[in-house]
Amino acid sequence: MEKIILEHFQNKKQEAEIIPKSVSVIISNTVVDKFFLEVYSLTIFTARFFREVVKPPYEFNELMKQSFLIGYKSLSLVAVTSFIIGLVLTVQSRPTLAKFGAESLLPVMVAISIIREIGPVITALIFAGKVGSGIGAELASMNVTEQIDAMQVSHTNPFKYLVVTRVLSATIMLPVLVVFSDAVGLFGSYIAVNLKGNVSYYLFFSQIFQSLEFKDLFPALIKTFFFGFAIGLIGCYKGYNSNKGTEGVGKAANSAVVFASLMVFIIDMIAVQITSLIQN
Amino acid sequence: MTTETSTIETKDDTKQTGLVVVEMQHLKKSFGDKEVLLDINLVMNKGENLVILGKSGTGKSVLIKCIVGLMEIDDGKLLLFGQDISELKAKELTELHRKIGFLFQSGALYDSMTVRENLEFPLRRQVTKVSKKEMDELVKEALENVGLSDTIDMTPSELSGGMRKRLGLARTLILKPEIMLYDEPSTGLDPITSKEISNLILEVQKNYHTSSIIITHDRECAKLTANRVIVIKDGVCAAEGSYAELEKSDDPWVRSFFE
Repeated sequence: MEKIILEHFQNKKQEAEIIPKSVSVIISNTVVDKFFLEVYSLTIFTARFFREVVKPPYEFNELMKQSFLIGYKSLSLVAVTSFIIGLVLTVQSRPTLAKFGAESLLPVMVAISIIREIGPVITALIFAGKVGSGIGAELASMNVTEQIDAMQVSHTNPFKYLVVTRVLSATIMLPVLVVFSDAVGLFGSYIAVNLKGNVSYYLFFSQIFQSLEFKDLFPALIKTFFFGFAIGLIGCYKGYNSNKGTEGVGKAANSAVVFASLMVFIIDMIAVQITSLIQN
Repeated sequence: MTTETSTIETKDDTKQTGLVVVEMQHLKKSFGDKEVLLDINLVMNKGENLVILGKSGTGKSVLIKCIVGLMEIDDGKLLLFGQDISELKAKELTELHRKIGFLFQSGALYDSMTVRENLEFPLRRQVTKVSKKEMDELVKEALENVGLSDTIDMTPSELSGGMRKRLGLARTLILKPEIMLYDEPSTGLDPITSKEISNLILEVQKNYHTSSIIITHDRECAKLTANRVIVIKDGVCAAEGSYAELEKSDDPWVRSFFE
């Protein structure tokens, strides 16, 4: 954290002299101070991301590699969890709907739940656990073993090579994973419906697509870009600014998951409010 | 432009006449309230192996990180190849830094890449593009120079400590730097491997005509590689001379490093 503040100030030469004093004044042990210091350094980190993302050279090869690692390698985990959630949600909802004689609405209800909320949020949480912690631990261990410094000595901008590519990959790949997760979740629901009944594939999905509207799909998809961005950014921030030592690696991975998961819920809450404001 | 002609004795018993490639004048560096380097004045001549000794935490690594641009100096002057870095534009400074190689204490190999990819990485980041064929030849040559030709498709985790150091050196030398900075090259190695690394440093000096700063705690490594030794104490250069001279120093504190 101290490193990023120093980096920020070091860009302006005339301010360089005040760094040591201001840092020692800023860094205090109170929780409130730590919180604001964290917010401040995360803001600088985010601003640097937006500066670097537009500046050439562009690391296309690394972006492709990270997209493969972040996206493709998460497919199986997302598929299994989405299938189970679709199946369980259907099995759990059936008795309640049956009580009101609304069993025929089961596919529609499950589809709206999955597409609007459960698919994006559960996939984002799994993504935060797998990818966020992975990025945090990887960058922190690169920091500990001086690999980030070595990259700089090799005349490579480590922020651009490591951070920008990972954040972009997470932002691009999470929406793709969410669409995939929604599809697998609905398939799980179809299997669950057929466990105690006989509904054709065509009937099940035509019922779903007839009831779905643009306002169900679009906001749900848009918020996943923000989920992906937040998860990638927090994972990179925690790893890139980790303390030296093996303890720092563990802390970076752990706090990356905790903060990224928390951010998913905060973004979701904001997205729901904005969506309902627009729709009203 | 500061240029100083001097004659130095290299370890391969040849005389070289050269210029000053690194010069520090009243250099200061602190971290918060902790002042690490108080007033460093040193000169490194072309083709010379300069060993820097000092207790842990005296800022030896900080000093070479300032040279390569990983850290910024707080005050004083740092001249690389006779040019004051504070007067250079970012692009010009990057060009100077391209002439400097750095061997990290841990080797700093990229874990996610194979040996070949580790060596190709700096080549791919060069301004002048290198063809695939040239790259293969350079990688092969770099590995042969450090005796690791068989490891080309291995990952760093499959290599021993000494092999990792040698590979780190190969990765640095592949760009043929004019200045080499070694951060504790023999730390954590057994005496035999440590001697191999020291011999490798001498070979690099001979074959690549590099000027080197070697940060070490290892007496044998210092004895074997040094043309000149500087001892840092309390943020200043406390003693300077050849290994033999400092070994017989009147100052018991300086002498203690050589006992």
